[in-house]
Formats: sequence, C-alpha cells, structure tokens
Amino acid sequence: MSENVIETQDLTVYYGKHRGILDVNLTIEKGEVFGFLGPNGAGKTTTQRVLLDVFPPTTGKATVFGLDCQKDGVEIRQHIGYLPGELALYSNMKASDFFKMYEYLRKDIRSNGYWKELSGRLDLDTSRKISQFSRGNKQKVGVVAAFMNRAELLILDEPTGGLDPLVQNTVLEMVRETKADGRTVFFSSHNLPEVQAVCDRVGIIRDGQLIATQRVEDLFAQRMNRMTMIFEGPPPAGVFKYDGVTETELSEQSITLEVRDNLPAVLKTAAEHNVRDIETHNVSLEEIFLAYYSKDEGGNNV
Amino acid sequence: MFRLLVQELKFRRNTILGWGLGLCFFPLTYIGIYPSVADEMAAFADLEIYAAMGMSLGTFADWVGSIMIVLLPLIAAIYSISNGTGTLAGEEEDGRLEMLVTLPLPRWQIVTAKALALAISSAIIYLIVSAVSWIVFLVIESQIETVMVGKDIFTAVMAGWPFVFAMGMIAMFLAAFCSSRRFASMISTAILVVGYFGSNLAASTKVLEPFEPFFLNTYLDGTGKAILEGQSTEDTLVLLGVGLVFFILALIFFQIRKLTVGVWPWQRGKVEA
Repeated sequence: MSENVIETQDLTVYYGKHRGILDVNLTIEKGEVFGFLGPNGAGKTTTQRVLLDVFPPTTGKATVFGLDCQKDGVEIRQHIGYLPGELALYSNMKASDFFKMYEYLRKDIRSNGYWKELSGRLDLDTSRKISQFSRGNKQKVGVVAAFMNRAELLILDEPTGGLDPLVQNTVLEMVRETKADGRTVFFSSHNLPEVQAVCDRVGIIRDGQLIATQRVEDLFAQRMNRMTMIFEGPPPAGVFKYDGVTETELSEQSITLEVRDNLPAVLKTAAEHNVRDIETHNVSLEEIFLAYYSKDEGGNNV
Repeated sequence: MFRLLVQELKFRRNTILGWGLGLCFFPLTYIGIYPSVADEMAAFADLEIYAAMGMSLGTFADWVGSIMIVLLPLIAAIYSISNGTGTLAGEEEDGRLEMLVTLPLPRWQIVTAKALALAISSAIIYLIVSAVSWIVFLVIESQIETVMVGKDIFTAVMAGWPFVFAMGMIAMFLAAFCSSRRFASMISTAILVVGYFGSNLAASTKVLEPFEPFFLNTYLDGTGKAILEGQSTEDTLVLLGVGLVFFILALIFFQIRKLTVGVWPWQRGKVEA
C-alpha cells in the first residue's frame, strides 16, 4: 500500500450542467485525520462519493490505497468504513439486526461483534427498531456501522450531526483512537472546534474547488490578532501601513487593525501617536475559515 | 452475492406473505363460487365483450383461464412492478442504495441478487396461489363437470409466473436506467395496461393484428384449451427470454449508472465548457 491513502488528480465532476467539483487535487497520508471543510454544496460529499465509486469523475483520477477508485472499487471498499451525510437506514429492522446484516454482507471477520462494544460506548439501545429512533440515535447507528469493521480508512461525512455534546465527544474520541491505531480518517464537517480538536490537516473547499490545504497548527500559527486602539483624539489613519496589517474599522477615537505581522512596529507607531488603550483578541479558526469563504473580502489571502 | 440474496429475501418475507395470501382471494372466491354460477356462465360463452377482454366463460376450464391466467397475472404484475422499481430507483431515492453500493459488493451482484429475489419471491407468491387453487378445486370438484384434475389447475396457475417475471425485469431495467421510481413505475404500468388491451384487441381487430407480437400478454393464453393442454412452450420461452434480456439491460445500465446524482441518463457526464 502507498503512503498516501487518498490521492486525487484534477478530479472533476459535473452533474449534467451543474458543477460538482472542479480540478480537486488532494493527498491524504496514512495515519492522519484530514478535515474537509466547506459550506453546503461546496463538493465535500461529491468528493467522498467518487472515492467510494458511487459515481465516476467526469475527468481526473482518484486513487485509494494506490488503487484506482473505479477499477478496483470493490477491493478498496473492503478497507473503508463509511458514514454518509444523508443517512438512510432500513427502518423496520432492529439496530442489532442491522449491524448483523452489515457484518454478514461485508463477510467481516475483523468486526466480530465489535458493534456491541461501540453501541455500548454510544449508549445505543440496539434491541429497538430503527424506526423508533430519534435522529441522534439513527446517527449513532451510522457511526457504529462506519467504525465496526475497524477499517483502514474511515470516510465520515458530518459524523457528529444530530448528536448531543457528550456523544459528540465520544465520537471524536473514537476518531482519535482510530488515528492512534495508525489508521486514516477523512472527516468532513462544518463544526470547526471538532475539526480543530481531532484533525492533523484541513482542506477547504469552496464552489467545488479545493482552495487550501494546511496543517491545523500552521493555520493557527498564521492566525491574526485583531487589535482595537483607543486614542485621546481622532485616531491616526493611514499610519499603520505595514506588511500583514490591515485597517478594518475607523471610528472617532479608535482604529481596529488585523495584525498578522510587524507587531512591534505597530505598537511603536501606536505609542508615538499617544495611544490610550489597546484591546486585543485572537481570531478563531472559525474566523479564518470564514475569511476563506468570503469572496467579497478576498479571503483567500489568509 | 448469496448473502445479499438471503438478505433481500428476508426483507420480502412479509410482502410475500401479504401478497400470497391476498391473491388467494382469486381461487377462494372465483373458483369457489363456480358451482353456483356455472349455468349462468355457460350463457355468456360467446359474448364478444368478454372476447375483447381476452376472456371466455363457457366452461370451467375457460373460467379458470379467464380469471387465473388473464386477470391474476395482471394483479401479480403490480407486485413485480412495485418491487422491481422499488429495489433500485426507490432505494436510491430514499438513500438506502448508497449504504449498499459503498459495501464491498460489485454492482452486478447487487442487481443479480435483487433480480433473483424478485423472481423467487414472485414464484413463491404464485406457488401459494397455485396450491390454494388446487385445494379449492378439490373441494368443488364433485360439484362441477370438467375433465380437469387438481394438478392441471396447479400447473395452469403457475404458468402465469413467466409473465410476472418478465414484467418485473422490465420494471427493474427502467429503475436501473433512470433514477425516478415514479417514472419507472409509470412506464411499467403503461406497458402492462397497453399490453393487456392491445393483445386482446389485436386478436380481434385486423388493423392491430401486426402489432400483436409486441404485446406481452399475447404470450399468455387464457383459453380453456391452454388450461387443459398447458401453455405453449414457445410462448413461455418468449416471456422468459424477455425477462432475461431486460435483466441483462438492467445489469448494464446499473453498472454505468451515476448513483445518488438524480440526473437523467442523457445528462450524465456532460461537461460544460
């Protein structure tokens, strides 16, 4: 098996006239948890479905474990646990029967009843029919089904959707354990704190195009400070023209800056202009993420 | 594939029982009441309106043919249409198919298992109805004049199954071809209804005669003669052949199908400049 578990080259999918994804080049290494971030309709699910050979790409190529997703789909899927974003289950079955069926259809010897342990961890009553479950409990069924075969690669589409915070933490813990086992997780989510909590790298997709992939710590290393400076009189506009510094707001007595670089110069200039007070706060991953998505604000420069 | 087939049959347990018992209504009522209406039916032996509907009611064999060979397969075909469209397009629409195709199963196995499950389940339904027909016949045998024996009625009823199989495979092909269960059901039902009226009218109208081979019901003989002597082997082979051809088409189209996308076949893969 290749060190790169997932590799895509110029992956493009069109649904009739509609764009799914465009020229997506993605590499996910063995043993990492990769967070795939993007708004609805950005192309996260499309990318995952191509990897699972639910449909072929219009152009481009995707490989998983070094195998072609279209030619070797069956072999690839033997090593994948998948949780779809739009989960649909056989509602007339008991959860336990569903897991047994899954085990049976996969001819899964690795599972060996592991679903019982997982169901216990997620506090899922498997003796009840799926039709009687709340949305959260149905999601637990999907989570257990994805994890139960101890797959080499987990593809999880919004795994914590509909779960209460306690269970969300358990799912994230399960993701961390998967990583600790040396297995790989491709994790799509809207929830930035959880991506921050478990992912090694993140890819940001917008309008079908992968606009950035970065290690989470690098993303934080680059993160900016937002600084509001209050002056005795009118603030000195236009004096903070340094690389990595942007004026975002100007009022009668204050000026707000986003500072990525040249902090000492900014502070020196502020002192020269009789600054009275400085308020700072860190910009969260969410704000960095939003900056990527904000077309009008040229957010790609973060 | 065997595992999936077993699972698909398990899913159909209640449906098989429901349809099997429901369709027993036909032999229990129509065959059961024959002794009390036999004389009146003899008077309708040559009515053209019945002939136009592919029915003849003069003798017990004619009666059995009209009800159990002409009408029963039409009703049973609704099961196979509903099942054939529900397993691919229907499961795709409700999202369950995605769970299935992301398991390590080749698509041809998924279609084959579902087609086999449909064929086996409809055959079991037919076996139930045929067995009940035999039992009802044994109960009324002493009250009617006929050269038929119990085995004849059993085989006569079972002979309608290839038609139901063929309709099921047509429905399955349509469900593999497009992503809309409603569309697949609509076309399948139209084929069923047009086939029924078309074959009967073609048999009695010279203008429509050239089209007779194109109607599926043409290959299902509901006359008393066919009940006593059995369906033509050629006709049965045509029905099974039609079923097989549409099964192969379903395999091909499901293999190239972009699942979960919901676009029409002619829109698939089209790239905008």
